[in-house]
Amino acid sequence: MKRVIVCYKWVRDGADIRVDERTRTLNLDKAKWMLNEFDRNAIEAGVQVKAATGCELIGITAGARTENSAKDALSRGLDALCYLDDPLMERADSRTTSKVLAGMVEKMGGADLVICSEASDDEFAQQTSARLAALLGYASVTYVQGIEVSGEVLKLGRKLEDGIEDVEVEGAAVISVVPDINDPPMPGIRQILGAKKKPSTALSLAEIGLTGEQAEPQLRTESVLAPEVRRKKVQLSAGGASAADAVRSLVQHLVSDGVL
Amino acid sequence: MNTHWVIAEHARHAAELISAAKALEPGTVVAFAGGDEEAARGLIAQGADSAFVLAPGPGALWEDFAAALTEKAKAEQPSLILVGASKRGRSLAALLAANLDAPCISDGSRLALDQGRLTAERMVLGGLAMKTVSSAARTVIVTVSPGVYAAGPADTSRQGSVGRLESAGGNARVTGRRLREHSQVDLGAAARVVGVGRGFAEKEDLALAVQLAQAMGAELACSRPIAEFFRWMPEETYLGISGQVIKPEIYVAVGISGQPQHVFGIRDAKVIVSINKDENAPIHQTADYSIIGDLKEVLPLLGEAVSKVSTR
Repeated sequence: MKRVIVCYKWVRDGADIRVDERTRTLNLDKAKWMLNEFDRNAIEAGVQVKAATGCELIGITAGARTENSAKDALSRGLDALCYLDDPLMERADSRTTSKVLAGMVEKMGGADLVICSEASDDEFAQQTSARLAALLGYASVTYVQGIEVSGEVLKLGRKLEDGIEDVEVEGAAVISVVPDINDPPMPGIRQILGAKKKPSTALSLAEIGLTGEQAEPQLRTESVLAPEVRRKKVQLSAGGASAADAVRSLVQHLVSDGVL
Repeated sequence: MNTHWVIAEHARHAAELISAAKALEPGTVVAFAGGDEEAARGLIAQGADSAFVLAPGPGALWEDFAAALTEKAKAEQPSLILVGASKRGRSLAALLAANLDAPCISDGSRLALDQGRLTAERMVLGGLAMKTVSSAARTVIVTVSPGVYAAGPADTSRQGSVGRLESAGGNARVTGRRLREHSQVDLGAAARVVGVGRGFAEKEDLALAVQLAQAMGAELACSRPIAEFFRWMPEETYLGISGQVIKPEIYVAVGISGQPQHVFGIRDAKVIVSINKDENAPIHQTADYSIIGDLKEVLPLLGEAVSKVSTR
């Protein structure tokens, strides 16, 4: 295991997104950017493979404003970073993202292992890892909750609906890891300061051989709206009603709704 | 006449996808599913025109069928490929999409087809919003979760061809499977569900929720942290985006804050009740009835009141 690449996404912090109750539209103006939470586990999985094998550990990301992600990502244990920062990527679908990431991996000369997380907080499409494997011609193993490197063989445990599937891979692989694979530590002040000294390299779409047209998404977004909430919102504790009063009233409502 | 494909790990899920495909437009349906030839014949009865058994050889990953399916798709040019959104299914769909350079809509619902443009709705931003996406590509892949569509009635007089698809296997080999014990609880089919969250300070306090659930004849479920971080409840009992999605008559959320990720799993409940001492907890905004109060006080009272109703 000589080189491991971890893919991560730089996303909007969902906690900062405001919903207009009337129009159901979202306001992202105040939303800060953050490292996709699932990807903290992917980076930590890479850190642990590096500890076991002494491999080189490089992070890659493609998106909008990704240059700003360098300090955060590098403070989590990556040796170096390669990022593609292009506003076009803000509209990327999984196809575009995986094409761009595959182009970046190839430009860097490939890897023995590429680690992704299972999904992004924002799109939650769960496609990038497998698509990337197909484009690179690497083996694809998704939903991994355990990694063991044994010589040239990668021993993986997949967490699936029906249980754990043990898989062995020889040769290059792209894997996605589930959040319970590890518990990533918060970077300390030393790691944060150290991140500034680590190398980060920018790549452009042109440098990986893609035109803007090729990066256009295949999926067209028609609308993004908060789900309609049609609930009665009856507050039974209003006006200082006691718990007993509230419970009595609740049971009456439930009986008249025919659900009790 | 267009050809639609449905692919699923389990035949019962494939049956739901056949009904989804047939609802979109008339056409030929080719089904691919795990199981045996009898299961495949069952899919003919469900409306497929031909059905293939996907039985991976020893050591092969289920997703390895992506290679054979890619070749077949290139030859047959299906316009729509619906894939059952199990974890293996999602991975196979993504591999197939990359191989065919086709769009793939993950976890689509409310599928509609208008003049060759397929539209679907999907959850984004941790449940904060629904995104409607569309594509007019020659082949569009959509993954669909179990239970989103209902299987149609079986017609055993239907005729169709049944075959097997072989898979070559790849560089990744399965060396063992440790099957999870099947849960006795089917939350998806439960009419009444009580959900517990981080408002429970101690595991012992869950007894209060168990008593309420018993009084109501309800199943007990939880929020993700209760299962995944505290491990007080089995993993298959947490509700939300990456957990179970339920549609009960009544859902009682106790000590649950109501993050969008959780609400995604419960929002099709007919009636939602929230019990939480924090009056600002978002769960109250997605509930029909809210009680602001200490669960230790409210739950015993509610359990008692409910028992009186049900013994009447």
